[in-house]
Amino acid sequence: MGCLRFKEESSVTDLVSKTQYRDRRLPTEAVVPLLDVDQIGISFGGLKAVQQFSLRLPRTALYGLIGPNGAGKTTVFNLLTGVYRPDCGRMRIGEQNLLGRKPHEITAAGIARTFQNIRLFPNLSVLDNVRLAGQIRNTHGLADTLLRTPRYRLQEDLLYHKGMELLSIFDLQNRARALANSLSYGHQRRLEIVRALATEPQVLLLDEPAAGLNPQEKRALAQSIQEIRARFQVAILLIEHDMSLVMDICERIVVLDHGVTICEGTPAMVQNDSAVIAAYLGSSPTDN
Amino acid sequence: MHFTLPGCLGPYYSRIVVDVGIAMILAVSLNIVNGMTGQFSIGHAGFMTVGGYAAGLLTFYGSHWLWGAAGKHGGFLGSGEWMYAASCVVGGLAAAGAGYIVGLPSLRLRGDYLAIVTLGFGEILRVVLQQTGKVLDDPAAIQSWNWSQVLPLPVGGAIGFDGIPKYTSVFWVYTFLTITVVVAYRLKYSGIGRAMISVREDEIAAQAMGVNTSRQKVLAFVMAAFFAGIAGGLFAHESGVIISPKDAGFQRSFDYVIMAVLGGRGSVSGVMLAAMILTSLPEMLRDFEQYRLIVYALLLILMMLVRPQGLFGIHEVWHYFPRWVASASRRKAP
Repeated sequence: MGCLRFKEESSVTDLVSKTQYRDRRLPTEAVVPLLDVDQIGISFGGLKAVQQFSLRLPRTALYGLIGPNGAGKTTVFNLLTGVYRPDCGRMRIGEQNLLGRKPHEITAAGIARTFQNIRLFPNLSVLDNVRLAGQIRNTHGLADTLLRTPRYRLQEDLLYHKGMELLSIFDLQNRARALANSLSYGHQRRLEIVRALATEPQVLLLDEPAAGLNPQEKRALAQSIQEIRARFQVAILLIEHDMSLVMDICERIVVLDHGVTICEGTPAMVQNDSAVIAAYLGSSPTDN
Repeated sequence: MHFTLPGCLGPYYSRIVVDVGIAMILAVSLNIVNGMTGQFSIGHAGFMTVGGYAAGLLTFYGSHWLWGAAGKHGGFLGSGEWMYAASCVVGGLAAAGAGYIVGLPSLRLRGDYLAIVTLGFGEILRVVLQQTGKVLDDPAAIQSWNWSQVLPLPVGGAIGFDGIPKYTSVFWVYTFLTITVVVAYRLKYSGIGRAMISVREDEIAAQAMGVNTSRQKVLAFVMAAFFAGIAGGLFAHESGVIISPKDAGFQRSFDYVIMAVLGGRGSVSGVMLAAMILTSLPEMLRDFEQYRLIVYALLLILMMLVRPQGLFGIHEVWHYFPRWVASASRRKAP
């Protein structure tokens, strides 16, 4: 779909693209982005944590967000999900404005996330963790709940089956009744993703999903991230320190350093970018 | 139950049964906000007192207005009793209003800071109630009533609101207790309950999963206060009780906090059991009443060391039953 559109428009945009963007020729650029973030930034006191961050995430794209420690990657996630309120800029998903919205409204609008340090609800069961996320699409109120009306029963039934189905896709159905804190580390990471998917997002933000996993598990994760995208039709933005993982699966990569976007492009471009190399390895005196 | 129980047990034990019922309502309702939502409130007796005074005001002056005297009117399920039941519900609504106001700071405060706000609510209420006017108890004074007597409210000041008709019986207490328990239980095993527990477990994650945490917290406060207000209405109409400003103080609040903590965070049946034990135990050990608070404190310290999640944690009592009982009950519970 994206490719077709690109072919139609390529002749028109070709001239402009060559002068303005090195990478304008990628098909994803030509379609209307799903998540459109324009020049958002935030500072804490005098510290400019993120400055002029822009991102155009097309439907079902898989982008990576990398950068050295303290570059502001998680802060970007917190801005996108409304934990922090951006000082400036624009943020929209589809036609909906996201700027200044509360976290639960942003989740309802279709952005779900996982956390770098796992934040499951430890004393809820695995199934309840998933159901809690899924119930965002429920419409029954307090009276329905207390009276157990047919509407309540129907929606809770659907939620139960939806939760079990999601868990079985990720092979967690046998642990559905166990408490979330009784799961192994790898399973907890997986449950975080399941929980985020249960909100029926359009955009999935994964914050270091491979942290603490062994090489085998990482390979499995890389595969399942691609499967998630295909199966649930979500766009994914991935924060990850494991370069081979990011370079393997991401279509495009945004590199942050000290809150500033220093590079954006395909994995091959990012790998050869002098600013990126300098940020990760330090620059030699001759470069300056 | 209404007729047989007092006959079998005598007034002393039926009084304890009523006390246990009222304490259960308070502990179960407090558990909605403390145990499930994790917002540490130590002003629960304040809500109870709001409900008690509001209900007492209605039945006392209502009886005077309708029947010319504040005594009981009508028999079991007679007109007087229905007015009493309705006034308990109104007391609950008044307390729910107070719960909404106290719940608002919980949007910005958490932990110790919120506890201090709720503590302050109870203490402020206590002092305000001490400044109220004398009860108008003779018909002549009520006949010559005028608006200037509305403020301060004629509810007895520091000595308490005497003369409220004593309607409270085992039947009414356990009717309201049943409603409270059904509501608490249905709440716990529902989407709203999950949302409340998620706020307790991890507020940031709850927001990220689409839970409107502000709404859940205020809802928890309002629900808890509503049932505390009903319990207050029952308490104010209990024979042998004169509801007084000191009932709003922190000591009584603390009793209920202990019940909720001891029973387990979010366990409806566990909290009921704790309320039953902690209400009847002082009666059984009347001679040692002076040491009650010492025992409470020691009990709490011991609990925190040995079983910080409370007797039952988040589980219900029947989760600890032998397997064959559990499998029978699980079929019913979701």
